[in-house]
Amino acid sequence: MGFDDHHPPRRELIDDCVHCGFCLPACPTYALGGEEADSPRGRIHLMAQVLDGASLPGSVTTHVDRCLSCMGCLTACPSGVRYDELVEATRAQIERQVRRPVRERVVRALIFGLFPHPRRLRVARAMLAAAEATGLRSLLRRDAVAARLPPFARAMESIAPPVSRIERLPRRIPADGERRGTVGMLTGCVQNVFFSSVNAATARLLAAEGFEVVVPAAQGCCGALSGHVGREEEAIRYAKSTIDTFEASGVTVIVVNAAGCGSAMKEYGRLLRDELAYAHRASQFSANTRDLSEFLVEMGPRAQRNPLHTTAVYQDACHLAHAQRIRSQPRALLAAIPGLEVREIAEAELCCGSAGVYNLLQPEAARELGDRKAANVLAADAELLVTANLGCLMQIRAAVKRSGRSITAVHIAEILDASLQGVPVPGTARTAVPVAEIPRPQGV
Amino acid sequence: MTPADPDARGVPDAPGDPVAGLAERLALLVGADRLVTDPVELAAYECDGLTHYRVVPALAVLARSRDDVRAVVAACASAGVPFVARGAGTGLSGGAVPHATGVLLVMAKMRAILELDIASQRAVLEPGVANLDVTRAVAPYGYYYAPDPSSQQVCSIGGNVAENSGGAHCLKYGFTTNHVTGLEVVTPDGEVVELGSKAADPPGYDLTGAFVGSEGTLGVVTKVTVRLVRAPQSVQTILAGFGDIDAAGAAVSAIIATGMVPAAIEMMDALAITAAEAAVGCNYPEGAGAVLIVELDGPAADVAHGLEEVERHCIESGAFEIRRAADDAERSRIWVGRKSAFAAVGRISPDYIVQDGVVPRTALEEVLRDIEVLATEKGIRVANVFHAGDGNLHPLVLFDAGVEGELARAEEVSARILDICLAHGGSITGEHGVGLDKVKAMSKMFGEDDLATMLLLRDAFDPGGLCNPGKLFPTPRLCGEAPGRRSGVHPLVESGVADLF
Amino acid sequence: MDLLDELTRVCPDASAREARPDDAVDGVTPEVVVLPRGTEEVAAVARLAASRGRTVVARGAGTKLDWAGTPSSAEVVIDLSRMDAVLEHASGDLVARVQAGARLAAIDRQLAEARQWLPVDEVVPGSTIGGVVATGICGPSRYLHGAVRDLVIGVTVVRADGVVARSGSKVVKNVAGYDLAKLFTGSYGTLGIVTEAIFRLRPSPEHRRYVTATCTDEAALAPVLADVLHAQQAATAIEVDRRSPAGPIALAVLVEGRAGPVEVRARAIAELLGASDDSEERPAGWGTLPGPVTLKVTAELTSVPALLGLVRRLAGEHRLLPVVRGSAGVGVLFVGLAADIAPRVLAAFLGDLRVRCQSLGGSAIVLRAPAATKGALDVWGPVPGLELMRRVKQQFDPERRLAPGRFVGGI
Repeated sequence: MGFDDHHPPRRELIDDCVHCGFCLPACPTYALGGEEADSPRGRIHLMAQVLDGASLPGSVTTHVDRCLSCMGCLTACPSGVRYDELVEATRAQIERQVRRPVRERVVRALIFGLFPHPRRLRVARAMLAAAEATGLRSLLRRDAVAARLPPFARAMESIAPPVSRIERLPRRIPADGERRGTVGMLTGCVQNVFFSSVNAATARLLAAEGFEVVVPAAQGCCGALSGHVGREEEAIRYAKSTIDTFEASGVTVIVVNAAGCGSAMKEYGRLLRDELAYAHRASQFSANTRDLSEFLVEMGPRAQRNPLHTTAVYQDACHLAHAQRIRSQPRALLAAIPGLEVREIAEAELCCGSAGVYNLLQPEAARELGDRKAANVLAADAELLVTANLGCLMQIRAAVKRSGRSITAVHIAEILDASLQGVPVPGTARTAVPVAEIPRPQGV
Repeated sequence: MTPADPDARGVPDAPGDPVAGLAERLALLVGADRLVTDPVELAAYECDGLTHYRVVPALAVLARSRDDVRAVVAACASAGVPFVARGAGTGLSGGAVPHATGVLLVMAKMRAILELDIASQRAVLEPGVANLDVTRAVAPYGYYYAPDPSSQQVCSIGGNVAENSGGAHCLKYGFTTNHVTGLEVVTPDGEVVELGSKAADPPGYDLTGAFVGSEGTLGVVTKVTVRLVRAPQSVQTILAGFGDIDAAGAAVSAIIATGMVPAAIEMMDALAITAAEAAVGCNYPEGAGAVLIVELDGPAADVAHGLEEVERHCIESGAFEIRRAADDAERSRIWVGRKSAFAAVGRISPDYIVQDGVVPRTALEEVLRDIEVLATEKGIRVANVFHAGDGNLHPLVLFDAGVEGELARAEEVSARILDICLAHGGSITGEHGVGLDKVKAMSKMFGEDDLATMLLLRDAFDPGGLCNPGKLFPTPRLCGEAPGRRSGVHPLVESGVADLF
Repeated sequence: MDLLDELTRVCPDASAREARPDDAVDGVTPEVVVLPRGTEEVAAVARLAASRGRTVVARGAGTKLDWAGTPSSAEVVIDLSRMDAVLEHASGDLVARVQAGARLAAIDRQLAEARQWLPVDEVVPGSTIGGVVATGICGPSRYLHGAVRDLVIGVTVVRADGVVARSGSKVVKNVAGYDLAKLFTGSYGTLGIVTEAIFRLRPSPEHRRYVTATCTDEAALAPVLADVLHAQQAATAIEVDRRSPAGPIALAVLVEGRAGPVEVRARAIAELLGASDDSEERPAGWGTLPGPVTLKVTAELTSVPALLGLVRRLAGEHRLLPVVRGSAGVGVLFVGLAADIAPRVLAAFLGDLRVRCQSLGGSAIVLRAPAATKGALDVWGPVPGLELMRRVKQQFDPERRLAPGRFVGGI
């Protein structure tokens, strides 16, 4: 069975690949295994084979499933091959046509039955909280028990953060001082339930920079997770819903603090190209989507940054650096915090293995990548890990813990918020000292 | 195995599947998880960086150790099955194209840096290590690995050994053969041989030197000992824009005549610049008919002195813009245009052929003019990128396969460029090797006696004719093959050596 | 018809004559000596020798005929002194094509007209290119410019069967075909007779300075040497010279280039060496081989001081007074001993030296020694890859007619 007629990967795009191999060192799965079929060049070859008559189920599916969609190859390719379009099209084909083994189907059903649904997530959260309170959670972590869990469950447990209080955001947060504009804010799904403090920090940050923040209550999942694994219809449903919600709220610019979500929303134009009623609106929506750091740098800083005397490592989330090509803005924002020493890590371009729900679907490969990223992060010997994507944060923190070490991991919104508000960086005792409070030397 | 018939070199006696039995045996020897038997996965290995030649191997083995390699080669030898080694598959002459009834030995997993002996200025590497990874590993100590092909982020050291790879800096620093002091090789009979070491001048014949550049026909490298070079005190790079190639060429001649040896002198013509601009936005001097990248390295005083001279000669030859890289970032930006030129050309043309030829440096201008005349005559565009310091040209022959007859004309231009090179006393390949692509041209560059003498060396290593057969040397059956893109039945298919899927 | 007549008939210009006592090759008396004028004549002689089952040895100025193993037979001596021309000098391309009989000194005089040189030191005065290629003997400049094998880009050889073959080309950048020049360099004439060689050249340096210092012993040398190796001053050569086994070690660094920069670099190196001298004059003995009995020893770079220490210790044990001189920057040193050294003693010294050299990653071979003494020695020592080398020899010279017995493993 080959590709069906609904948007198969395009031959012209495949022909753009000149087989130069520059993508190989950029590909995490090639870095792990050294096998051609697990490289972008190889996967493109496999797609071409299917176009030429090879079967889609079987090894083609296996190798495409292993792709993280990290888009590292997009950055590395000198010929501009649109691997993102090709792999997205192929994944959708696989989802539609290939019947997966039962276990895989169950895992996917669990993931997609849970993550994009806020109410169900809150139930899961409550269960986790209970497990923590009763000590069941630590029991599950013991090697003997953990080894018995299916890899997917083990992975899920290891990355799930400790349960914390949910900070609820009001629907409208006024700007501090003179209002420079109004923006909508995406709160995300997993993020909103397990990391609501990050959303709270984001809202405060935007407000401090003079923006009124609108947080539509009705918003749900943006569909990024579904889109990235090829569950096209589902992704389209979520996208439409997200567009409807934000349009109804009256905002134009939407700020996103999750790299994966922002990347997906910037692709709504392509995702909804066949939907007559939405196509144009989706393109507009995409054009108005901004990543948080992109937005802040574009608008220019207003609020005072207070010093933070510590060291931090900045980790590029793939969906920010490769998919959205946003690398300099987060660094610029961090550089503007006085006293903060920002360090770079080796193999910065290599994915940490989180990749949406990849770490749940391909736990072994994700674990290896996580360990590798953790080693590189720890080698920089900084106090903090700063990232723009919570998936990365969870993945790296879990890997660091596996290695027996620890690091304080924060979202970039949290560290910026700390600097602006003069409050401790979450997880540390470090407080940004407001400049006004620093005693002046005598006689000046 | 006794190859009684020289024509049968590389062709197994019985097409009736010696490979199936071999697969079973190899599964026992190296483990089934290291075999690739799935047709889809095998097909992914059908070509290297040159997509014109595609042959799916009967079997592939992902070697993880020297013992794996030895087991595979020995098993192939006793079964009379040909084998081909592959690194990262980025070669541009089809040297890693598999044999349809043979085994492809994939070396990509053997990529450990075994030893860094900085004090002795040596590194010992597995062949799958990427070229740039060597420099990355030793840079913190103030050293680097000098041969730097443009594909260095991905090409493997083993591949570099097979092709005697150069790179932009070989004008001053030489090629792989000048930087390899020792090899561990599995010879085609399945024996492991140590050639050379970290020390210089091993007694006996310089088999290490003979092996480098032998394009995988004398055995499979399993360990490489390389020389590390001390990073220069100072590196200065300038980019100069000229109105045309002649002016740029005059600058190069003047620079060389002063007695300087720049680390690199690269030139690109207008068409190549356009492509690079489209691909990476390198922002080269606007309106330039040619750009020159000159890099000087060495002790600071020498470099400073040399830089002034270089700039002076550029200006005197008519450069309208000169940029000096102020820091490493700018230096990278100057080079990125040149380094991505090949792949970048894909943005200004649907199809292209990368040619690789060498002429004496002093003949460059004349040769470029000849190429221009030829290109105009055939109605085919040719973009030029080349190592101006040593006369190594990389004409990029652009065409559209969708237009009737263009492919054939492009192939003709490409082949005739090699004739032009030979007519000026040059070579048919400066870097990319002969592989499959230039086998026929070997007879134009060398006489029968020359080739026969080279084959004596091959017979010493590979009397069975199983090690990467069909590459490098013309065999009677392949003499009729035209280089470049194939059309119609592939000669390997015709000769029963290859299968078309 | 006897051999001489046939030679004269086949090559009338080749001035074939009977061999004289002074034509002996390391003590082996030849039958005839012939002086061809070109490659074709060399080929004709080789063909004739082959058809007559004669062994063949090539000769240039004869300065290295007694090096390495003594041939078991050397019936026809092909003297290449008439083939002494620089055939081509493409100064714009920094390439020269020379005949094997051309003398290094003469070549350099000619190249100097275009301010270029062939960066191969004339280690043995009067050397011809053919002998330099056949033995691969290098001097101090190899540190910067590479060994002989790194400078040859093409060769024309006459095989044992008289077939003429070329490899490489006139362009430096060339990867077409096997690099046979590498195979022939250092092959001591056992694979074929090189009649022409093409070299890459370098611009002649304008100024040179030798910065020298003295170290009391190898322990004092080690850190200084490490510093110099690591310095970024692009030295042309880093040489050591120890005239007596336990005596001081002279360390000399050569820098070349434009006047101003050379000053700067020489000063930088002088700082590294501590108390030092700085002169435009080359130090005594620079680039010459100690002897008359000469051993060549190699080791990894970090082991050079250890090598010097080893020679000192063994000299004490065997009561010898070796002189050690060579390229500390490359890890190739030459040990010179007196002509009257007893074969037994030399064998013992060599054996001990060799074992330790091997553990330091290198080797020890006999370059020069009286023929009688060599008879009692293992001139070459163990050679990794010897089997493969035998197979190569078998292909190129199956009848073992080219300098048999001179090379490794009795090849």
